[in-house]
Amino acid sequence: MTEKTTDPIVIVGSGHAGVAVAAGLRTGGWDGRIVLIDAQHGMPYERPPLSKELLTPGSGDKTALLRKEDYYQARGMERITGHTVESIDPAARAVVLAGGSRLPFHRLVLAIGSRARELPVPGAQLDGVLALRTYQDGLAIQRALVPGAKVVIIGAGFIGMEVAAAAVKNGCSVTVLEFQDRVMKRVTSAPVSAFFEGLHRDRGVNLEFGAAVTELQGEGRVERVVTSDGRHFEADVVVAGIGVLPNQELAEAAGAACRDGVLVDEHCRTNIPGIYAAGDVTRFTSPFSGASQRLESIQNANAQAEALVSDILGSQPRTAEVPWFWTVQHGVRLQTAGVMHPDDEVIVRGDPDTGKFSVVYLREGRLAAVDTVGGLADFRPAKKLIPAGRLLDPALVADPAVKLEDTATGEHSRSDARQTAAALA
Amino acid sequence: MSTNTLTVVDREGQQHAVQWEPEQSLMEALRDHDLPVLASCGGTASCATCHVFLDGDIVTSLGERNEDEAELLVDAEGFREDCSRLSCQVAFEDRLDGMTVTLAPEE
Repeated sequence: MTEKTTDPIVIVGSGHAGVAVAAGLRTGGWDGRIVLIDAQHGMPYERPPLSKELLTPGSGDKTALLRKEDYYQARGMERITGHTVESIDPAARAVVLAGGSRLPFHRLVLAIGSRARELPVPGAQLDGVLALRTYQDGLAIQRALVPGAKVVIIGAGFIGMEVAAAAVKNGCSVTVLEFQDRVMKRVTSAPVSAFFEGLHRDRGVNLEFGAAVTELQGEGRVERVVTSDGRHFEADVVVAGIGVLPNQELAEAAGAACRDGVLVDEHCRTNIPGIYAAGDVTRFTSPFSGASQRLESIQNANAQAEALVSDILGSQPRTAEVPWFWTVQHGVRLQTAGVMHPDDEVIVRGDPDTGKFSVVYLREGRLAAVDTVGGLADFRPAKKLIPAGRLLDPALVADPAVKLEDTATGEHSRSDARQTAAALA
Repeated sequence: MSTNTLTVVDREGQQHAVQWEPEQSLMEALRDHDLPVLASCGGTASCATCHVFLDGDIVTSLGERNEDEAELLVDAEGFREDCSRLSCQVAFEDRLDGMTVTLAPEE
């Protein structure tokens, strides 16, 4: 750092991205002030366990923290908790906190995440209608999952299906209502959906597809869910997992370019000098496919944190990491490298009936993504093969006895892959 | 249970004294000390970014790696059958006080 400043680097948000930025700045040698602002009280915590460990029977109310309690103070990081930022004054390089106090910044990092999309139907405000984003949300769901409770989950994405798995394990009667014709349709292919549907049904989860929710009914508290075909589903509790909206309003009001997410470049810079964004709130161009994307994942939060720390400190950025995701349902893990597209060629490796298989997604003959189910053997090879952009032999890919890394045949050609992605976008 | 003290050798060969608190996995102790273990997955044996080398006798005494850990480690940079572990899968035990932990090479 050549610049001398007494103003802090201010980080709005204390989730995975915000905390990773603070940690990265210190380890990278920034010895100036760091201020972490958190709308919530308490210590910054891990998100994945909120829909998994926190909801398992007998788990209590403890959940994993991102860093131990004394971590922040020991490194001279200032934390402001239970406060939101009202506005940003880019010209004066200051943020205004709720209550009106101003805080000048040297650099500003917006790591403000996303919020659960609300059900756009009458009755969505009734008691007993829950969503899952925060630790408090997780506790509320945990308390609602009592044996015998009738739980209706709206949306069969990762969150909905993880909550469904936890709910049956807690002895609840569980129905999942999904508008699409299969689970996790947005992120995976039919063979993977079918496998997980079987897993859930075997455990007693009732899955309803093509179910468009039109109304939630009840006297003050939710009692039933009504779908467009006139069916009624009795409910003691409803959990909505129908996607998220990026918390972009603060950035937008300050003049940051937004389009379903705060737009950032590969260094996580917004269009406003000195202001960065990272994590769920951002939208950016994939260096792998050329597609515009928002990634709601730990991996992305960490990778973007690292990229912007490098930019602030003027250090050498790391090469981009292939995006990856995971979910665990009924003790079975689905772990994905890369981002599939519905038009990709789908090749199943292995037999889903064994509970352990992979699905490979080829785009113009090149590896675009891999889903691994019940095992991780193909995961790391996939993370290396995706950026390499080499042609794979589909016949070899379909043979699980052949290692994924041994299925490559052709020449590396990134530019072709990019053109294809641009055509798909 | 009291805190364990570890000697951690980073990728540059520098030694660090690291406090390991009960209820923490080994990965959490390394992470809270700002050692470069990315631990992208929060300790769920998803990513192998917390790969470390431990003394062979200790690895033997810790017992079998679970399937996910084994599959991730086999392809990991610098994998050594006798001393590689994912630190997120190593639970606190008093008897591990004073052990040496070496960070495995980065991918």
